[in-house]
Amino acid sequence: MSDGAHYRFPPSEAYHLNECLYALKSDRAFAERFLADSRAATEAMGLTDGERADLRNMDRDALVARGAHPYLVFMAGLRLKMLAQPSEMEYF
Amino acid sequence: MIVGAFAVAHTPQLLIRPGTEDRDLVLRVHAAMGRVKRRLQEMKPDAIAIVAGDHVEAFFLDAVPALAVYVGRECAGSFGPYRYRLDIHEPLARSVVEQGIERGFDLLYTQDAPLDYAFYVPLHFVMPEPGVPIVPLHVNVYLPPQPTPARCYAWGVALGEILRARPERVALIASGGMSHFPGTDRYASPEFDYDRALLETLREGRGREMGRLTGEELDKRGNIELRTWITLLGAIGDARADVYCYEPSWHHGNAVVEWPLDG
Repeated sequence: MSDGAHYRFPPSEAYHLNECLYALKSDRAFAERFLADSRAATEAMGLTDGERADLRNMDRDALVARGAHPYLVFMAGLRLKMLAQPSEMEYF
Repeated sequence: MIVGAFAVAHTPQLLIRPGTEDRDLVLRVHAAMGRVKRRLQEMKPDAIAIVAGDHVEAFFLDAVPALAVYVGRECAGSFGPYRYRLDIHEPLARSVVEQGIERGFDLLYTQDAPLDYAFYVPLHFVMPEPGVPIVPLHVNVYLPPQPTPARCYAWGVALGEILRARPERVALIASGGMSHFPGTDRYASPEFDYDRALLETLREGRGREMGRLTGEELDKRGNIELRTWITLLGAIGDARADVYCYEPSWHHGNAVVEWPLDG
């Protein structure tokens, strides 16, 4: 797979960043803590200050440039939106 | 024996619709999934074997299996307010993993991994009533390097041989597709023309040609999830597709397809 691929081999230096995005996507309690106070929620996760700032802003391009998996960024953002604005969704 | 074969889109916006999604389009996809449900009720399967790509839910970067089989008594997952708990057809699942390994496929099996929405979004809409047990079959689509289309097709061929030798009536579902690029700058520009050309190939009963696609092409076309379709096509051969719907949204080519096996 070329380096120009949409989905690339996840670099190990971004492991903790992807771990945090995974938790935002799949761990509702963590996502709620993050919405309440992202700084406190991400304190002991092995992240750099820059990573934490990009997470706070959900800056997709910056996160992907750091090695975040694009799908994890996407679904973490969608899940946070679902938590923050549940009434704007139609449930089937 | 294999009694039915379908491909069903699984985008979560079909289950939970944000205001960004066209409601009429969503309802048209639901109607096509309703046809699948009615067909399944006619087929009276003993089990549904569903091939789906985990969305980094069951398998994170601590362990990334190319191919996996859920073999426990049941499996469970959740998405937003939805909670799913589904029975697994244990004898069938165990036979798939044992015979798959005998045939040279180094399958991971799990009795505990959570179930991803790629499995339960289609089942939410197509599960016949009363429900039947499932065999969840994972194919890695999101964490490179993924299994090659040729490998998926070969696994599908083996899976088809295994299922045909079993006494149970099994319906096969491939979950996912078609073109979409979640989380990338291509999100709003999928390759709908590519999808339509692929569907034409499938209508003509030339499914095996999909086993010759490359992983690079699937990534380029937003179709990494077609590995689940390719696995199914390996299992059923060159049946002609009946396309129930192809509904391109602003970010996703939603397809619902049956490959009729009875004539």
